[in-house]
Amino acid sequence: MKKLLSVFLSFLMVVSLSACRPNEEGSTESETTEEETTEETSEETTAAEYSFKVWCADNVVDLTKSQLDKFATDHPEYALTFTVEAVGENDAATSMITDVEAGADIYSFAQDQLARLVQSNALAKPGVKASETINAENDASGIAAATFDKELWAYPLTSDNGYFMYYDKSVISEEHLGDLTAILEDCVAANKTFAFEGTTSAWYIASLFFGTGCVSEWNMNGTDIVSYNDTFNSEEGLIAAKGLKEIVTSPAFTSSSGADAFSANPAAAVLVSGTWAYSDVEAVLGDNLGAAELPSFTVDGNTYHMGSFSGNKLIGVKPQTDAEKAAVASQIALYLTGEECQSERFDAVAWGPSNKKAADSDAVKANPALVALAAQNEYGVPQGQYPGAWWDIGKAIGSAIFELGADSTDDDLKGVLQSYSDSLASLLTVDPEVARAWTVIGSVQGGDWSEDIEMVEDPEGTWTTADLDLKAGEEFKVRQGKSWDANLGSDGADGANFVVEEDGTYQIQLVVGDDWTAGTVELIKK
Amino acid sequence: MEKLSDLEYLKLTKAQKFFYRLKLLITGFPSWLLGLGKALLSFLKNIILNIKNEFLDIFLTFKNGDFKTKLSYLFMGFGSIARGQILRGLLFLIFEIVFIFYMISSGTYWLNKLMTLGTKGPQEVYNEKLDQYVMTYYDNSFKILLYGILTIIFIIAFIYTWRLNIKQNKISEAIIKSGKKLKSSKDDLRSLVDDQFHKTLLALPLTGIIVFTALPILFMILIAFTNFDANHNGYSNALFTWVGTSNINQLVTWTSGSSNFSATFGEILTWTLIWAFFATFTNYFLGIFVALMINKKGIMFKKLWRTILVMTIAIPQFISLLYVSKMFSNNGIINGWLMDWGIVGLDSRIQFWENPTLARIMVILINIWIGIPYLMLIATGILLNIPADLYESAKIDGASTLQQFQKITLPYMLFITGPYLLTSFIGNINNFNVIFLLTGGGPTNQAYTTSGGSAGYTDLLITWLFKITTVDSNYKLAAVIGIAVFVVCAAISLFVYNILPSMKNEEEFQ
Repeated sequence: MKKLLSVFLSFLMVVSLSACRPNEEGSTESETTEEETTEETSEETTAAEYSFKVWCADNVVDLTKSQLDKFATDHPEYALTFTVEAVGENDAATSMITDVEAGADIYSFAQDQLARLVQSNALAKPGVKASETINAENDASGIAAATFDKELWAYPLTSDNGYFMYYDKSVISEEHLGDLTAILEDCVAANKTFAFEGTTSAWYIASLFFGTGCVSEWNMNGTDIVSYNDTFNSEEGLIAAKGLKEIVTSPAFTSSSGADAFSANPAAAVLVSGTWAYSDVEAVLGDNLGAAELPSFTVDGNTYHMGSFSGNKLIGVKPQTDAEKAAVASQIALYLTGEECQSERFDAVAWGPSNKKAADSDAVKANPALVALAAQNEYGVPQGQYPGAWWDIGKAIGSAIFELGADSTDDDLKGVLQSYSDSLASLLTVDPEVARAWTVIGSVQGGDWSEDIEMVEDPEGTWTTADLDLKAGEEFKVRQGKSWDANLGSDGADGANFVVEEDGTYQIQLVVGDDWTAGTVELIKK
Repeated sequence: MEKLSDLEYLKLTKAQKFFYRLKLLITGFPSWLLGLGKALLSFLKNIILNIKNEFLDIFLTFKNGDFKTKLSYLFMGFGSIARGQILRGLLFLIFEIVFIFYMISSGTYWLNKLMTLGTKGPQEVYNEKLDQYVMTYYDNSFKILLYGILTIIFIIAFIYTWRLNIKQNKISEAIIKSGKKLKSSKDDLRSLVDDQFHKTLLALPLTGIIVFTALPILFMILIAFTNFDANHNGYSNALFTWVGTSNINQLVTWTSGSSNFSATFGEILTWTLIWAFFATFTNYFLGIFVALMINKKGIMFKKLWRTILVMTIAIPQFISLLYVSKMFSNNGIINGWLMDWGIVGLDSRIQFWENPTLARIMVILINIWIGIPYLMLIATGILLNIPADLYESAKIDGASTLQQFQKITLPYMLFITGPYLLTSFIGNINNFNVIFLLTGGGPTNQAYTTSGGSAGYTDLLITWLFKITTVDSNYKLAAVIGIAVFVVCAAISLFVYNILPSMKNEEEFQ
């Protein structure tokens, strides 16, 4: 029967629907587990059971497993189970962001992903004491890398996420090392390539811009870009663009950063990459392996040493709803990033430690890749936080210059940089609703000129706040779009602050005239 | 426009015929639109009329029904149970109870939240004793949206069942009045494997389609009207909410400047269509050509050739395409050989993937390599089916091989594979593998930088959508693109479907 069928179908649906109920207040699931665990710890007879999902790079999976096992034996008060999965540092961030709930509890990631992860709330801040430990034990770049919006968000794992130059000693002569043009000529002469991710990665492209003294600094407030200072589109930027043009239009240019460039055909003579490629490069080049800081490039007679990003790998802990479990996760992260584990990791896979004591060993100081990296870091810019879109917009500089080819003019290059800075500017464009809205800002309501108080518009175009308790002597201004481009003070546009004369409950009202500069602000006492 | 009679039409030259048909198509368009409008209007009228009739029927059934029928309005299934149809009645009743229970326990919660998609985001608290920042999660916009939709579907299902329950009573009354016996529960069960067997069979697939196809599509469409993105993931950082059509506006408003969404969409759509056209028709004609070659009498080792070609299908594209991508890179094996043979130098290496035009040509060429075998297999089957007497009589009439192909083979192929051509065109619009594995969408185009993320010269809408979702986590714009892709595919399908000869008349081909 049709009826039977529909009833049956609906029944099926009901069953599936009632299988999941809403959590009325907060996450009920977590509350119950919290209760359970507190019970358990108060009894102190059975060990608290926790299971953690851990993501780390492919080549340290076994090492991490044994380190975690050691942690478990050192801490018999917990019954710990670990699931260690190989998830590359970049994939880890993407996977975490896609589904925080299903993501790992503890995971390693490259520093450039920090902003995205904080944005998605996929990171739990280390506690106050844990932060003190991190600050005390790690080098400055590691701490800077784990810091976002003035707060520590992760545990520094390595201090080697920068790049420098690997070269084939049989092709590049020792005296040419510091000179980009000579190196490129050596490559061409030997029919070998110069592998540099000049068209596919902003991380590498920025090297030339930093070399000429350009900056790109981003001030993020949690999820929003507050402001930025980017000077890539400038005279210095043009010099850098010319340097980049020299690389990408060179016959030897290949956009690659993998060690396999040395075994490709035509093989590379130079590879700009990081310490992670060391063992693979060594396997191909053997005794011919050379590692050095990046060279200098010459534009219009002036020489500029190529800069770089100096960066780190970090370990992050996912926010937990259970405080006890969070505490254990934090301990594990501290252990994994501690001196012992970092030294082990250096011995096994030659990752440069961020831990000061671990970095102090003779073996670390003798590793050619780390020595080259240290030399390059003299010209390095500690990698701050960038909005995700910056990496996309930045790499387009390289591909655009490549596309223009060898006979592009200065104007062409300027156009590329202009387009770059236009794209950056468009990141800041705010919602038109917000841009139009008027708000009150000041020392009122206990604020310190940092928080805007909303105003509501009525059909006649009058903007009014809710009832506010104001104290005599408090000052405020009315502004539009949460920016100071359009603001009203007691004597009109860009005027002095309004001052409240008498305690009381007020509404602040703005009547906008034909033009915002003619707007009048009024305090209406209730 | 004046219509020509058949005789006049036949007198025209080929070009004239073509223009005549084109003119017919264009001049016919307004009346086609008018017809469409009329059809829509009458459709709406019908719906309103139907709803009116339903309400009238509900009212009349109540007025004319006995107390069993009247009570059934409140207690579903009462009438059925009272008249001895226990099974039906119980199912109705259970459904009502479950519905009420669900609505009270959670349905109203989801429905209330659906308007705002949640009001309280996650909160972080510092636990001093344990030195930990602990999160407490409250509303989850994603779940609210999902369960909100499910609840609405459930309510619709309930209303439908309630209506059925009333109809049931009306029918039962009529049957009893006419003196016949009502079906017993046993009869009902038996009918499920007998005259109602199709419904038993369809129950599972139908549920599957609703849960796995209809629901996700509905969900995706609704996401286009929210601000679901990396900054508002609905759970762990901030809730998302309804934003009206602001995402769709981004797609349809044309702002000046290079980095805008609608311009980029237009460019990528154009390339997608160009790609789909070439990818489909190059494969099609070359596939037929290869099949004809292999089928030609006197060709040796037919099976060997076929096997070699089919090997390309046997190797997973993930492997073969990634490998080919490496081969053609500027430090890949192809450039290596060319250099070793002295054909190119280091400076004149062929930038297969770095040069935008060359990259576009390459993806089409490589797609031919992996696409021909399929077509060859299909074409071989069809070619063997063309009656040999057609060719014999053509030969007797003195037709050349080319003429035979033009007049017999091609029309026959086109007639039979018309629907296949359409599906493969649509398939190529969404051909993710070939593009993504070969070029990853590159080379990057500086002009394609938008609020939704960047794109490259060879990006199709589908790979762009992939980047927007995975790299930029901008789900709202991805949903908009998803809808746009659907609209494009649907429009093309409908148009082509309507002009395909094989869809009009199966007897037409001679």
